[in-house]
Amino acid sequence: MIAIFQREFFGILRLRRAVVAMVAMAVCSGLLVLARWPSEALVDLSGSQARQVFRIFTYGMLAGVLLLAPAWPATSFVQERRRGTLALLFNTPLSKLAIYAGKLSGVLAFVGLVLITSLPAAAACYAMGGIDLTQDLGSVALVLSVATLQYVAVGLLVSTFANSTDSAVRTTYAVVFSLCFLALGPHYFLQGQEGWTPLLAAWLRRVSPLPVLMHLVGQGSVGSQGLMESSSGMPEYLLASLVVTAGVMIATLVQLHSGIFDRSRSQGLITDEQSLGVRAARRVFFLVDPQRRSAGIPFWLNPVMVKEFRTRRFGRLHWILRLVAACAVVSLLTTLAATTGTVDWGVETIGGLLVIFQVLLMVLLTPSLTAGLISGERESGGWDLLRMTRLSGWQIAVGKLMSVAWTLLLVLLATLPGYIVMIAIKNVMWLQVSLVIVCLLLSTLVTLAVSAAVGSLFSKTTTSTVTAYVVLLAMFFGPLLIWLGRDAPFGYEVVQAALSITPAPAALSVIGMPGFEQYELIPLAWWVAAGVSGLSFAFLFARIWRLMRPS
Amino acid sequence: MISTAGPVVVTHELTKRYGEFTALDNLSFMLDRGQILGFIGPNGAGKTTTIKILVGLMRPTSGSASIAGADCVRDARRIKRLVGFMPDTFGSYDNMRVREYLDFFGAAFGIGRRERTRRIDEVLETTGSTYMRDRYVESLSHGMKQRIGVARTLLHDPDVLILDEPANGLDPQARIEMRELLLRLSDMGKTLIVTSHILPELSRICNIVAIMTKGKLRAFGTLDQIMQAIRQRRTFEVQLVEGTKAAEVAEAVTKGLDETEQRSVAAHESEAVVRFQTSRSDADLADLLGGLVRASLGVAQFREVPTDLEDAFLTVTRES
Repeated sequence: MIAIFQREFFGILRLRRAVVAMVAMAVCSGLLVLARWPSEALVDLSGSQARQVFRIFTYGMLAGVLLLAPAWPATSFVQERRRGTLALLFNTPLSKLAIYAGKLSGVLAFVGLVLITSLPAAAACYAMGGIDLTQDLGSVALVLSVATLQYVAVGLLVSTFANSTDSAVRTTYAVVFSLCFLALGPHYFLQGQEGWTPLLAAWLRRVSPLPVLMHLVGQGSVGSQGLMESSSGMPEYLLASLVVTAGVMIATLVQLHSGIFDRSRSQGLITDEQSLGVRAARRVFFLVDPQRRSAGIPFWLNPVMVKEFRTRRFGRLHWILRLVAACAVVSLLTTLAATTGTVDWGVETIGGLLVIFQVLLMVLLTPSLTAGLISGERESGGWDLLRMTRLSGWQIAVGKLMSVAWTLLLVLLATLPGYIVMIAIKNVMWLQVSLVIVCLLLSTLVTLAVSAAVGSLFSKTTTSTVTAYVVLLAMFFGPLLIWLGRDAPFGYEVVQAALSITPAPAALSVIGMPGFEQYELIPLAWWVAAGVSGLSFAFLFARIWRLMRPS
Repeated sequence: MISTAGPVVVTHELTKRYGEFTALDNLSFMLDRGQILGFIGPNGAGKTTTIKILVGLMRPTSGSASIAGADCVRDARRIKRLVGFMPDTFGSYDNMRVREYLDFFGAAFGIGRRERTRRIDEVLETTGSTYMRDRYVESLSHGMKQRIGVARTLLHDPDVLILDEPANGLDPQARIEMRELLLRLSDMGKTLIVTSHILPELSRICNIVAIMTKGKLRAFGTLDQIMQAIRQRRTFEVQLVEGTKAAEVAEAVTKGLDETEQRSVAAHESEAVVRFQTSRSDADLADLLGGLVRASLGVAQFREVPTDLEDAFLTVTRES
């Protein structure tokens, strides 16, 4: 186990991105504290300024854990399996448990090291006074440690199932963000009600570290609809989180013992060669049969776009239909739950929830589809083959971007029925809804452009996907951290400027979501979005032009 | 279709430098239509650099290269039409069946839908891969992928095929199939440039061989021409009826050679063989054989040990 730990830990430390992560964490946490460090020679006896700094520091640390912890474990097993070193490891006298424990502890040690780089900032926070070492800093450290353990365990589990490193990274981020953010959703709708479902929703919420951390920094009321909780929920969080982590660990060990090498090769089963009955049954069941022999690419379609759809596991038509249907159902259920719930939220809150749901979907989905557009080709050796065809750089870029744009547009359209219900309830809102839709389209454009541009910088899909996620999450959720500190420590002007970075807060402002309604974000947010998208596309095309040229 | 007259592939003083390092140094050669050129050399010899310049993926520092009159740097579009390139990495796409994979590349080469369907069937037939058409690309074995790689290069019916290590990692059966496939392509009038580390394979299919080391072309021509150019001494073997006479025969042979050649004489009693190296003419060797026969030493056979591509390669690379 020690050998595995050493190899994992020092292996990660040798990577350039590991150094970048450590430096970034130290610099960012330091800057967060520095930004709110008192500049006047006044004594803050109430400790409110220290609490403000502590709040920003805590959210920054959570963002760090969310972005950094899943990246390394997600590639751990899948990379070893593809290189063939996992079979060599399994052939040693080491038990599967020892291998797993070595990998888990190696990654945890590295993430711990990254978090330790924020200690000077934490010490500065403490030095300001008003922060208790055990009650505040200690509790935050405990929550973040448990969250890190959970996310690393999730990453390792995904890694045992995944077939490629980039799909492992994508899936891990999706699961981790779902555990942190989407787990809060059901409780938001069902709080205050009685019965099994609200109880389950409350426990599901406990899996996320967010409510505990918000309570610790004095923002427990956000999203509580006025139903204040007396305790921080720390014991419940620790219990729920550790139970989930234990379950994930057991599942990983089971997978290591049985299934990791047990994958058969496709035998090329084709429906066209099946009996008439089977063909008819599959047509009814699938609508679009994934095993039907596909027709050739017609001349009016960009071949790169078709190729992109076909090479994505969920890019095939039958999966897109399912995704669109699921989005439509969730959108309608959200509206239904809100309108029939015991708490009267008003149309504005419902609209705000829909916007948050759509933006979350876009930010989580887009980098996974877009970041590897160029780096995936370069990594697999397909780029040279594409260069040898008669396709121009422009055709390649447009084909690739359109394949993502169509998917995102379909998903976005599928989430719109909720707005139709809103207009039916309060039909004067049609103008607001139109503006919201423009904001959402621009948000989609920004996510697409930025993640494609960022992804084109790298030759490895894993690096490009992780970097695109980090950049997009910083762009979309960074301003929300500043918004959480509105009035104190940040003033109106600062919050307004921060919220204008992306059009998502503008959508919340237009729909009148409580907390956002006072900001005037349109048209500045639109201009910024158009400008950022334009620059990103220009950069992407320049990059592709450069990569297409003889080296 | 390119002209049958004149060379198809021409490089003139092709040079590629990376700072101080010279990857390719004044490479000049010509290749005629229908020929198969075997490009050999140790790792880092400059083979892949040459290939990448020929297919337009890399720009030379100086010199020029052309295929059927099209400049490899300036006429990129014509080069793409004329050349089919199979790199040493397959470039597979996940979740795609073989037919879809070929369909995509056919469409990328601008082949119409109906024509593409016909071409896909043809190239699958040519490469003996028809049975794989509905398999997922990522599920294919290495040998299968190599054959699909060749099928991909044939899709737009190029006149020149450039294949980087097509036999790499193949089992003996797949290697034989690949060899037969390449010969079949040559019969179809295609000009082939093939790199390989498996020299016996190359020697069986190539009309022309180019040996490169450290970015320089050390030998170029037919295998016989290269052998003649590199061999200053030929190796001979005297097979005896009895091994006990080996020392006696070795002594007789030594007397017939000059001082520097005498050291090469080796008697192998267990094999009943005496081997030696000499640069003497066939007439001198006939005298030597006559002397051995007259001395009644039990000579069963007197033969020249054939030099193969491996010997030529080792000789050239050692000299360089």
